[in-house]
Amino acid sequence: MIKVDHVNKNFDRFKALDDLNINVNKGSIYGLVGTNGAGKTTIIKHITGIIRPDSGQITIGGEDVFDNRNVKQKMGFIPDDLFFFSTYNLKEMSKFYKALYPNWNQERYAHMVTQFDLDEGNKLSKFSKGMQKQAAFVLIMSSMPDYLILDEPIDGLDPIVRKLVWKYIVEDVAEREMTVLVSSHNLKELEGICDSIGIIAKGHMIMERDLDELKSDVHKIQVAYKKKPENPYKNLNVLHLETRGTVDLLIVKDKKELVEQTIWKNNPVLFDLLPLSLEEIFIYELGGADHEIQSIIF
Amino acid sequence: MFQLDLKSRKTIYEQVVDNLKELIIAEVLQPEEKLPSVRELSKTLTVNPNTIQKAYRELEYQGYIYTVTGLGTFVAEPRETAINPIQLEEITARIENDIKELYFLGLNVEEIKKIILPFVEERGENK
Repeated sequence: MIKVDHVNKNFDRFKALDDLNINVNKGSIYGLVGTNGAGKTTIIKHITGIIRPDSGQITIGGEDVFDNRNVKQKMGFIPDDLFFFSTYNLKEMSKFYKALYPNWNQERYAHMVTQFDLDEGNKLSKFSKGMQKQAAFVLIMSSMPDYLILDEPIDGLDPIVRKLVWKYIVEDVAEREMTVLVSSHNLKELEGICDSIGIIAKGHMIMERDLDELKSDVHKIQVAYKKKPENPYKNLNVLHLETRGTVDLLIVKDKKELVEQTIWKNNPVLFDLLPLSLEEIFIYELGGADHEIQSIIF
Repeated sequence: MFQLDLKSRKTIYEQVVDNLKELIIAEVLQPEEKLPSVRELSKTLTVNPNTIQKAYRELEYQGYIYTVTGLGTFVAEPRETAINPIQLEEITARIENDIKELYFLGLNVEEIKKIILPFVEERGENK
């Protein structure tokens, strides 16, 4: 389990993390989302023990992360900006990893290199951006991490490789209960793979929930009546209401059954209830105040 | 076994539950047949194993499947008792809607009965 407990961090006068809490359960795939500059990469660098927090605590499996070799041996991290030794090829790099990670799996490494069709003898600095990312993934997955931390992992990967990457991740979660923390702006992709979601803004956690639960209590509704009743939505927690002609468009935060009951009571001629996509929830939570943005989305 | 639609607004969890239910109702998956394990299914579908686990729990709760510790998960026999009132209401509403649509197409009562009754009887004979 990864636990971030009331962490604060300032860079000069800029407050990067503000009393941030994150809980990632063992064997879970956790999606970390937030706007640009919200502090995703900063908190990931804290979780991987690269930066020390000003206050608060970060533990993995109960152990403090910073300067802890024991934890880092069990952790795999693929940063947004990759680093390889400039003169190394993939084979040499794999020997370096092998020396660092006690659980290194040579068999898997050999299998993955052929599967991703990477040239072991070519210098890594000559690889394209996407191929470097693949190389990093092959190296990290061959180290058999218990905790996998990914910062924008699928950026720049083609759809076939992406599928393969997720396949490996899901397999390790299923077989070894690996814990995964992944940050991305590709919400569609996260939605398909994560079980928990944390949304952060300005270095602070806005909401941290089970993804299915989150999606099951915010709905987008379209209703039309022959004769509109007076104040038909007074029992509901309406986040947003808009009338387009005779059709009402609502965003409601309530259980599905209650919403259906309330609406059906007024005999609508048209009633559509759609669950919100993660993207819509994200925009609603983070762009909520700005009417200009809202009118584009809903 | 089945396909998931990543573009759908339905969550993966709901899709897994609905797809398996469909296969069980259509008897593609026979009673007492063993379902793939959570691990196997999560690997074949490339879906988070926690999601599959939750879907199996829901199906078990609804009585479609049962788990024997150490052996795996199996399709349950269709139940004689314990009809879930919420499900019943949902399905009734669906049928009501479809019938409304048939009226809208211009069919009369007799014609609609002619369409629906055979389905009811056919299923009854099989049981």
